[in-house]
Amino acid sequence: MSESKKRYSLDLGLNKNEVTSGSCGCGKSQGSCNSHKEEELSPDEFYEAAINASIGEERHRDGFEQVFDVKMDRRTAFKKLTASLLIGAGAISSCTSVVKDADSKEKAQIDWEEQFKGNYKLMTDEEKEGTINRLMRSYELRTGNNISMTAENAEDDVLFGYAFNISKCQGYMNCVSACVEENNQDRNSEMQYIRIHEMKDGKGLKFDEADDNYYHEVPAKDHFYMGTQCFHCDNPPCVEVCPVQATWKEKDGLVVIDYDWCVGCRYCMAACPYDGRRFNWGKPEVPEAEVNKNQHYLGNRLRKKGVMEKCTFCVQRSRKGKNPACVEACPTGARIFGNLLDPKSTIRWVLENKKVFRLKEDLGTDPKFWYFMD
Amino acid sequence: MLILVLSSCKKEGEYHSVSDKVEAEGKPYHGKLTSDELLAGTELIEITEGEHTFLIPEREGQIKSFACIECHIKPLSNMKGLNEKKAHWDIQLNHANGEIMNCITCHNADDMNSLNTLTGKNININLSHKVCAQCHSSQFEDWKGGAHGKKVAGWAPPRASMTCVNCHNPHDPSFDTRWPVQFNTQKAIEREEGLDH
Repeated sequence: MSESKKRYSLDLGLNKNEVTSGSCGCGKSQGSCNSHKEEELSPDEFYEAAINASIGEERHRDGFEQVFDVKMDRRTAFKKLTASLLIGAGAISSCTSVVKDADSKEKAQIDWEEQFKGNYKLMTDEEKEGTINRLMRSYELRTGNNISMTAENAEDDVLFGYAFNISKCQGYMNCVSACVEENNQDRNSEMQYIRIHEMKDGKGLKFDEADDNYYHEVPAKDHFYMGTQCFHCDNPPCVEVCPVQATWKEKDGLVVIDYDWCVGCRYCMAACPYDGRRFNWGKPEVPEAEVNKNQHYLGNRLRKKGVMEKCTFCVQRSRKGKNPACVEACPTGARIFGNLLDPKSTIRWVLENKKVFRLKEDLGTDPKFWYFMD
Repeated sequence: MLILVLSSCKKEGEYHSVSDKVEAEGKPYHGKLTSDELLAGTELIEITEGEHTFLIPEREGQIKSFACIECHIKPLSNMKGLNEKKAHWDIQLNHANGEIMNCITCHNADDMNSLNTLTGKNININLSHKVCAQCHSSQFEDWKGGAHGKKVAGWAPPRASMTCVNCHNPHDPSFDTRWPVQFNTQKAIEREEGLDH
């Protein structure tokens, strides 16, 4: 970062040999990595290095860039912005010297359109199609790999509901790992949507005394296990508090988030009485080989730093007729999922024939997640 | 009836609670989503138990050494005490105890391809749940309704449920204790530092 040019000077891509990365070759953005510069730092350089060391890459990279893992400094960003402006204006339809190649021109175009798209909730089906196509192409341009992203809408006559059998759960946590793999959760912070609470028999449902991170042979003697996750409340308090309407309840009952509309205020996290929501404090990372490439816009597509996420009942699966990953992975059959509106569904039989209850009924959140016992 | 929900009256939707909504809008699902595609490739048979009709996986084709009579040419009584090669050495019966159950409690000694009920009625291997249901009647009720057990594929119709022996080994039906597949080291660090809630 200690080049002689002013930081804000426009460079329209004429210096093709320039390293475009904002960080140096070692991949770090901090000053400590550039061992090629041994002489003492000038005050200006020192200032620069100090800022880099403290806030680092956040100075250069907003959420959108982070999600695609582009190494881009302000200069590159300006270059691309200028390029797409020019493209937009139709000023340089044939001039190739402005941008490096067709790919980066396309990337810039996609970034531009993504930057200024609307709230997913208000999009028409064509606009939804447009954004998922851009996101898929963008992923391809940036990683060389293909993903499949869909934007299925809620089906008619479907309202998703879930039941959890606390007599059956043995605490194996196969659901937790299946969820992490399915939903591309951040591996660094070990984000998990599902918590399994190990509770002592005879003590009642004491979540403050329960252990949700046990590691011993299970089921432990004199204990039972109770899973929590997003309950997809029919009267969701998280939705009401969102100041930008980045989270809402879909027609099939799923409470979803537009990760590109979320401003990261975490009001919803505070409003949820069930600890159902998770925040990306850092840049979420999933090794390329482990990325689940079957994605839904509202579901498991890759998130970015500073946005909320949570269980979506695996919208990418459930809207295709499949069960959520946790239901499929459960070895004990403790998890029942289905359509509440279908009188012949098994979830309806459970609700009508077992002694079911929900957590914190008195709050009026109306969760679509019931517990029952054998 | 679903459970009575005393939800708050400050509700923007048309229904007071989700149970009201379910009652008002509930009708047999005729949407275009089905599990047909997910079930393709699984051999299924349709059964009717009480008021429930659904699909379960076919069993005979999944048993490696079926048909049993390829070895068991004589009824079991004629094979007793013979100095022949021992078979099924890997099967250790750990189901109830020896006073209550042995092989022929479930297997038909006179027709080795089949199971039998406690009263000696022949039961096809594909319908083994009928044998289990003789003792495990409450589990059977829950399984028929869908509260016990797992689906073969998705939630969408047609309903295809795993049968007893798809999850339980009939010779050793209970689940073992084991280690959880997951441990959250970040949560452990937070707890160590007193940062968790």
